[in-house]
Amino acid sequence: MDLSLSTRTVGDRTVVEVGGEIDVYTAPKLRECLVELVNEGNYHLVVDMEGVDFLDSTGLGVLVGGLKRVRAHEGSLRLVCNQERILKIFRITGLTKVFPIHASVDEAASATD
Amino acid sequence: MSQQAGESGRQDFVEVRLPANGAYLSVLRTATAGLAARLDFTLDEIEDLRIAVDEACAILLQQAVPEGLLTCSFRQVGDSLWVTVSAPTTDGRAPERDTFAWTVLTALAGEVEATVADEADSGDPQYKVVSISLHKKRGAEPGQPPPQ
Repeated sequence: MDLSLSTRTVGDRTVVEVGGEIDVYTAPKLRECLVELVNEGNYHLVVDMEGVDFLDSTGLGVLVGGLKRVRAHEGSLRLVCNQERILKIFRITGLTKVFPIHASVDEAASATD
Repeated sequence: MSQQAGESGRQDFVEVRLPANGAYLSVLRTATAGLAARLDFTLDEIEDLRIAVDEACAILLQQAVPEGLLTCSFRQVGDSLWVTVSAPTTDGRAPERDTFAWTVLTALAGEVEATVADEADSGDPQYKVVSISLHKKRGAEPGQPPPQ
């Protein structure tokens, strides 16, 4: 299975809806998408991972890279994820303390802290 | 795929060989999940193994010889599964341990060890085979995050 990406605007946030598997093969596609969004001036990103079936450390690396990029512009990168098997990967690596993780796009789009 | 020992044998051995290319990792993940399911691992254990094998391969692919083969062997011994992934590399570097990949791998698989074969062992003296072995016991505690 490949990776699907679609972006839309919700208020002042840019939501990236990710679907499929994020691994060493597909992660570059996500990286390109995030880099492009930041280069276009979108500094407040919400990555919706509800449609993600698989995530490994390569995907984590891309998300951390995205976070560094938006922070360089005083932006934010929030995640939407309710799937226990995906959340587990964030917990193992301590990244739950790095990324704000929300239960819904609406919650992430309105969060300000 | 090759299989030795019968359906009811106490020890099963399965080997999968794939191009050392990330495009094939999804195939190996599916094979891993299928094998673990066959051995009656729980859904959580199957998911842990699927991710652990993926991480081990992702680590090897960083230095694998292009056009080389990634070999993954699965061996069931009693109520545990031993998985070894190996690939010929040019550098023969042991995997770095301060990476997300190693953290995830070691948290999800029970025991993990990495070896770099002597040149004489790898068949082709030009390359050194790096292997990562993991051992997942059925019914053991699921992978826990390391203490913070």
